[in-house]
Amino acid sequence: MKILIVDDEPPARERLRRLVEEIDACEVAGEAGNGTDAIAMAGRVAPDVVLMDIRMPGMDGVEAARHLGQLDEPPAVIFITAYDEYALRAFDTHAVGYLLKPVRREKLADTLARASRLTKPQLAAIARAAAPRQRRTHLSIRARGELRLIPIEEVRFFIADQKYVTVRHTAGEDLIEESLKSLEEEFEPDFLRIHRNTLVAARHIASIERSGEGQYAVRMRGLDVELPVSRRLATDVLRRFRG
Amino acid sequence: MDRPATDTGTTAESSAVRGTAEASDPAVRAPSFYLPDFCATSTVLAVVLISELVAIVLTLAREELHHGFWVDLARTSLFLLWIGLSSAAALCYSRPALARMSVQRASAVSLGLLVAVALVISEVTYWLGQLWFGGLETVVGSLFPASHANFVLRNLFIDFIVSALALRYFYVAHEWRRTVEGRARLRIDALQARIRPHFLFNSMNTIASLTRSNPARAEEAVEDLADLFRANLRETRTQIPLKEELEVARLYQRIEELRLGARLKVKWNVQELPMDTLVPSLVVQPLLENAIYHGIEPLPDGGTVIISGARDGDNLELSISNPVHNDPAANSRSGNRIALDNIRERLELAYHGRARMEVENRGAEYLVKLTFPVVKPGVLP
Repeated sequence: MKILIVDDEPPARERLRRLVEEIDACEVAGEAGNGTDAIAMAGRVAPDVVLMDIRMPGMDGVEAARHLGQLDEPPAVIFITAYDEYALRAFDTHAVGYLLKPVRREKLADTLARASRLTKPQLAAIARAAAPRQRRTHLSIRARGELRLIPIEEVRFFIADQKYVTVRHTAGEDLIEESLKSLEEEFEPDFLRIHRNTLVAARHIASIERSGEGQYAVRMRGLDVELPVSRRLATDVLRRFRG
Repeated sequence: MDRPATDTGTTAESSAVRGTAEASDPAVRAPSFYLPDFCATSTVLAVVLISELVAIVLTLAREELHHGFWVDLARTSLFLLWIGLSSAAALCYSRPALARMSVQRASAVSLGLLVAVALVISEVTYWLGQLWFGGLETVVGSLFPASHANFVLRNLFIDFIVSALALRYFYVAHEWRRTVEGRARLRIDALQARIRPHFLFNSMNTIASLTRSNPARAEEAVEDLADLFRANLRETRTQIPLKEELEVARLYQRIEELRLGARLKVKWNVQELPMDTLVPSLVVQPLLENAIYHGIEPLPDGGTVIISGARDGDNLELSISNPVHNDPAANSRSGNRIALDNIRERLELAYHGRARMEVENRGAEYLVKLTFPVVKPGVLP
């Protein structure tokens, strides 16, 4: 069983590595110091199990687990925390289990054994059940079995098409399988709905121009696009933009 | 008034079982004797006020005025002020002796003393009148009393009642103040006992890891942790030399360094500070803890906490600054205010308005500055 260890504290990683190495049929596939690195590492080593510290700088463990759940074959995530204030939240995201620091060898072995008995479809079901409770810092894009992360600050706007939502960000465009409504709820008030199918990053709006009789269009900073504002939302958008 | 520094935790506890416990242990009772210091200006003023109020009551109650209201009031006031101020002087001198007795006994003795003072003054007044106006007993409305026994006995009885009421008032006021102070102290104790569970369990985890990879460091970490807990369990009102307080902060820094590795850097610029100055314990360490918990830990690449101190005349300035994560969402850790309020409250208790705590939020930097008077050992604030 390939195991990925994710913790921001070097001594904590060192101890977990030692404990894992003492358990039969388990090997450490890699270590990461925060959620973002963990996702990159997971793409490279395709671990079966991720031992995930919850409290980490940058992207925390709960968000990282949510992104990992997007993979076609998500790993089993076991949360590790020093204090169980997060335990309920961890169960909400339907983790395979959670362990308290300092981790006991027997408990670790039991939980790993439980994780190894889960089938791929079961794991995928657990990952899908992960509810979007907490605002993410990144969006994740699936590409060739790996995840690519887009920091929310780099997103300029979302445009909904028939089935997909196109994300326009600093480095280009991507498609995601999320509804505009859920994105709007998760990222308000930083993102502003200007049209039935358009959500824009409020701080990247360059100007709002009149484009015809009672018609307005939003121009985004650094991009050569004009996004139409729907008549119904025009008053709200103008009020928000002009403060 | 009582020196706060000598008022130990035992007194707070004994206030609940007042009386018996206090009577059996003079050391505990001594610093919290209920009678105020009658040599203090404020108390003398209170005595004058009480005397005047009684004079007004007596004059108003008189059925038949001798020389009209104001003259009668002046006469009565003069007499009562004599009694009042002499009583204050008597209590002032006997206070040390009274403070060593039980509450009941001290009250009885004080009352006896006060009645004795009234007796002496009444007698003196009567005999002065006899001496100056010898035999002219029939002069109605004279400045001096005519009938000896009637005059003295009435005075003693009035004095007894008024003194008993005054003593009772001082006792109740004292008990009330003690309850309020005790409650405030309990609250602070409860706050101080709050060690962040995350810190505790993470440190345990670090030690568990080190026991095999680096047993010597693990041993040091256990020693540091023990000293840190000891400092946290110390009596809240203890004043310790600044050097010791900074040492506690360094213990904390060492434990966090093991855990955070290169992400944590702490810069100390405190060479200028007089290290023997007395400070309330745990004013610097919690600020360093906040700086690491709210500032350094959420930063993926860590940062530097700067602790700097300067002396400005009789004051000492100590500031602690840390970098702040630019994304407020990453800074959602709570609990900051509790520690700051706790420190502010303890500085107030220790320096009575002569200490200041300023918090500056300069965007990418967070800074807490403490300013408090330099207190040399042996000199209480």
